[in-house]
Order: sequence, then C-alpha cells, then structure tokens
Amino acid sequence: MTGAIRAELLKFFTTRLWWGMAIGIFLAGAAFALLFGLLFTGAFGEESMQGMPTGDATQVANSVYTGGLSIGYLLMLTIGVIQIGSEYRHHTITSTFLAQPHRLRVIAAKVVALLAIGAGYGLVSLAGSVLVGALVLTARGEEAFPSGDVARTLALSLLVLGLWALIGLGVGILIPNQVAALLIGVGVAWIVEPLLGLALRAFEFGRENLAPYMPSEATNAIIDAVQQSPDQQRLEWWAAALTLTAWAAVLAGAGSVLTARRDVS
Amino acid sequence: MDSRSTGARVEVRGLTKRFGGFTAVDDLTFTVEPGRITGFLGPNGAGKTTTLRMALGLVRPTSGDVLIDGQAYADLVSPLSVVGAALEATNFHPGRSGRDHLRVLATTAGIPTSRVDEMLELTGIPAFARRRAGAYSMGMRQRLALAAALLGDPRVLVLDEPANGLDPEGIRWLRGFLRMLSREHGKTVLVSSHLLQEVSQTADDVVILANGRLVREGTMADLQGEPSVLVRTSDASALAEALNARELAVEPGGDGGLVVRTADPRVVGDVALAAGLPVWELTPQRADLEQLFFSLTEGTNRNLGPVAGATREGAA
Ligand SMILES: Nc1ncnc2c1ncn2[C@@H]1O[C@H](COP(=O)(O)OP(=O)(O)OP(=O)(O)O)[C@@H](O)[C@H]1O
Ligand SMILES: [Mg+2]
Repeated sequence: MTGAIRAELLKFFTTRLWWGMAIGIFLAGAAFALLFGLLFTGAFGEESMQGMPTGDATQVANSVYTGGLSIGYLLMLTIGVIQIGSEYRHHTITSTFLAQPHRLRVIAAKVVALLAIGAGYGLVSLAGSVLVGALVLTARGEEAFPSGDVARTLALSLLVLGLWALIGLGVGILIPNQVAALLIGVGVAWIVEPLLGLALRAFEFGRENLAPYMPSEATNAIIDAVQQSPDQQRLEWWAAALTLTAWAAVLAGAGSVLTARRDVS
Repeated sequence: MDSRSTGARVEVRGLTKRFGGFTAVDDLTFTVEPGRITGFLGPNGAGKTTTLRMALGLVRPTSGDVLIDGQAYADLVSPLSVVGAALEATNFHPGRSGRDHLRVLATTAGIPTSRVDEMLELTGIPAFARRRAGAYSMGMRQRLALAAALLGDPRVLVLDEPANGLDPEGIRWLRGFLRMLSREHGKTVLVSSHLLQEVSQTADDVVILANGRLVREGTMADLQGEPSVLVRTSDASALAEALNARELAVEPGGDGGLVVRTADPRVVGDVALAAGLPVWELTPQRADLEQLFFSLTEGTNRNLGPVAGATREGAA
C-alpha cells in the first residue's frame, strides 16, 4: 500500500504537469492577495466600496489569503481528473492494475496521494498569498493577522485543495474520456454549479436548505471569507468542511465502485 | 538474468467472455506448460487479447477462470514476480520517460530501482529510456514493454504480439531472448501472434484460436506433421520400388514426383544412385504452415464480411 502511494506521487512528479500547476497556483495566490488586499481596504477610494462584499478584519484577512483558492481549487480539480484520466487515456491503467490487482487499493493510494498533493499546493498557494497579502494589509494600515481564526482558515485551505482533487478523481473515473472529464468538470465547477447556487437562492427552501451545501458555497464557508450580503445563510466552518468532505467521498466513492467492476481493455 | 526461478503452469478453464450479445471468447480450455514457449495464435479478432486480459484479471470473464500456479491473478501475493505481461505497445504516458515508467511500476511492487536499470540494459535501451516516451519508435516501445514485463523476474511471461513493429534484427533478438528464458531459466512463455510462421521457429507448443474457440492445441512438431522429401526422377515406379525395398514409405507427389516419408534427403539420393536413376529434384518438405493455419481458421474472421474481407486482404 505504501508502495502504491509512493508510485502515485512518482506518477505525478514525473511529468511536466506538476511544476506548471505549481507556478499557476503560486501566481494565483499572489495576484488575488494583491487584488483583494487593495480592494477590501478601500485602496480604490471609498465609493468603490459600495456594493462590495464586506466583513470584519478576520474575514478580510481570510479573503485576502485565500483569494487564489477560487483558481486553485479548479486547478486541483484538474489534477484529480488527470491523475486517473491520463491512465485511461494512455492505457497505463493496465500496468497499474497488473502491479496492484487490488483496484480499491489503487484508488485508495490515489486518494492519499491527492490529499498530500493538495496540501502541498496549498502551501505553495499560501506562500504567494500570505507574503503578498500581509505586505498589502500592513501597508494599508490593517492588521495582517487579526485573530487566531486566520490560522485556522490557512490550515483548512490545504484541506480544501485536497478535497477538490478528490472530487476531480471521482469525475475522472465517472467520465473515462479525459478531455470530456476536464471540460465537464471545470465547466460545472466554475460556471454551472455557482449559477445553480444562485438559482437555489431564489426561493426560501433552496436558500436555506440546498444552496449552503453546494461545493463552492461550502468552500467559501470553510475559509470564512467576506460576504456579498452578510445576512446570507452560511454553514459554520466545520459543517462546511464536513459537507465538502462528503462531496469528495461520494464522488471518489462512486468512482471506486465503478473502477472495481469495469473491464480494462 | 540472475535467478534460477522456474516457470509456473497456466490453466485456462472453460473461459467465456460475452460483450453484449457477442461472444468474444467461447468456452476456452487449454494449459500452458512451464519451460516451454507456447504460441497463442489466431486471426485478428479471434479473442487472443481478450483471453490474455482475462488471465491477468483486467477483464472479468463471463464464466470460467484462469489459474496461474494454481491461483487467480488477483490472489497472487506478489503478482509481478509471478507473471510479467506486455499487452500493448502503447502503454506509456508520452510525457514520462521510459525509465520513469518502470520506476513507477517498480515502486508499486516494491522492486528496487537498480533492477529497473538492469532490465533497460538487458533489453538494450538504457540511453533511450531517459527520454520522454512520446518520441519512441514502435520497436522501442516493444522493448520497453518487455523490460516492464521482466521487472519482477517473473516465472511466467505473457506477451501480446511482441514482434509487432520490430525489425528483422529485433525479431531475431526477441526469439533468442525468449528461447533463453524458457530453456535456461525454465520460465513459462506465452506469446500471441496472428502469424503461425512467425512463432514456428520459437514455439514448442501452439494453441490456435478462431472465433473465440479453440481449434487446435498441441506441440509445434505435431502441427508441422511428419517431415518428408519430394523427389523427381525419370522412372517414378522404379524408384518407388527401390525405396520400398529400403522400407521407406512412398506416396505419389503429383506431377510424376514421389513423397518419401523421411527427414533425410541423403537417403533418398543414395537409393536413387544405387538404382541408377537420375535425381531431377530433391526437396525436404514440411507441412505448409500458412496453408495449415488458413485451413484451420478459414472463413472464421467475424470482423470482416466476406466481401469486405476480400478487399481488405487485397489491400494488405
Ligand atoms: N470491450 C469490448 N467491447 C466489445 N467488443 C470487444 C471488446 N473487446 C474486444 N471485443 C471484440 O472481441 C473480439 C476479440 O477481440 P480481441 O482483441 O481479443 O482479438 P485478438 O485475437 O486479440 O485480435 P488481434 O489479432 O486483432 O489483436 C473482437 O471481435 C473485438 O471486436
Ligand atoms: Mg490482440
């Protein structure tokens, strides 16, 4: 089993994908920290604050440090899809299953590896965002670390990225055509799902019982960022973390069941 | 190769695979013996690859099973050290080097990296293997696949059309290599091919498949039949008499020739000389393998309709 996990990490680090992603995630973290750092501290003038999402100092700091996650979790979704999709695409799944015929162990190894990769990229993202964000906040006369809750958010952002990679893994198994899986996965996560969340907010039942449990809403709740409308229904950070974990478990779990039964030819 | 491991028996028992209503493999039963090379033959679409994939636990049989050393593949404790398989020539990520591909497999199975480099030496691609696999030629891929199959020093080798894409020198190298593995190391070698001649020089046994069914199983020698010698002379009946006197069986060979049941043309020449008859032709013969294979599997290629089959063969 540890062999299978190390093999999954080796698979990831022996193609060029990993450093491209690392650069992307670092830059996204830094760029969003700069943008949000200026935006939420009113650097563009008081009138520009109108209609802006608002929150207390902790929420502002959270938003600045985790702004890059909106790009980061899409990249992790992509990584999750590719970790299995490229095996189908290039037929390496055959040699993978020959070396480890217990398919559930292979999927379990991918799950562990992706959580580790997610945490690793989380650190890369934070390296960019905390560096830039703390500078901007300090320069704007705000407190860079207003409370201990910020540390919790930073730690949870590592988990968020890992969980989105698992969602990607599930999508990659459910849709064995890698290109289709990438297009559908990113399309749904980036556009369809947030729109659906908005639509659900249009009526009371959806607003209170459905929308907060959508993956992107849960993601925002975990990191406890600023809000468009502060009265908006939102899960506690731990409930949101459980919700996103449930999404990851359902998708990766469905994928595991399929993987165990599917013919490899 | 370092080890003295001996092969293991592979038993295919009542194996059937249906894809929807289509029966790709139909109640197949045969045994592959250790220390021998078995040719697994059949025309395109006969069901060879499907059978091998079922043997390796990749495709789930509709019924029947395959035992390797008495166990299903999935139950083998250390599968790569029991069976090494090379199924398709394209099993590599184009962006990963061949060596890294082997390292991934070795890591999964707990095989040291030093073994990876040994296998790359053995298959003659140590330098190439550090480049990205996307640039490999077909022959390189075959060698890399073979190196992957040998990683765990397996007792059984399963190779699906390993000669595809190899140049004549590569094919000769492969033959020698497989012979060495089976003769000197006692390994079980199962090689698929759609050409009987291709394996005729290497295989000890053959299993021939057509339409997913077994049509022939036996030794290569049995399949090739008794050797004989075709001889032509001025007076066939006089020569036949002389040969009969030496207790050699003779049949008319068409066009005034005689077919003598012997492996040794010199005997026939000596008899003719002693009888004072001229020898116009003296040819050792074996069964025409191409013809034999065709007659065994004839008209059974279900992937090609009769008309389409004719045109495709013409084009090939
Ligand atoms: N996943 C699948 N779904 C449907 N039909 C399949 C599937 N896999 C194989 N077949 C069919 O089963 C038959 C046997 O295929 P198989 O690949 O085993 O033949 P083969 O003997 O290896 O042929 P070749 O010499 O061309 O490699 C073919 O008619 C093929 O079309
Ligand atoms: Mg085949």
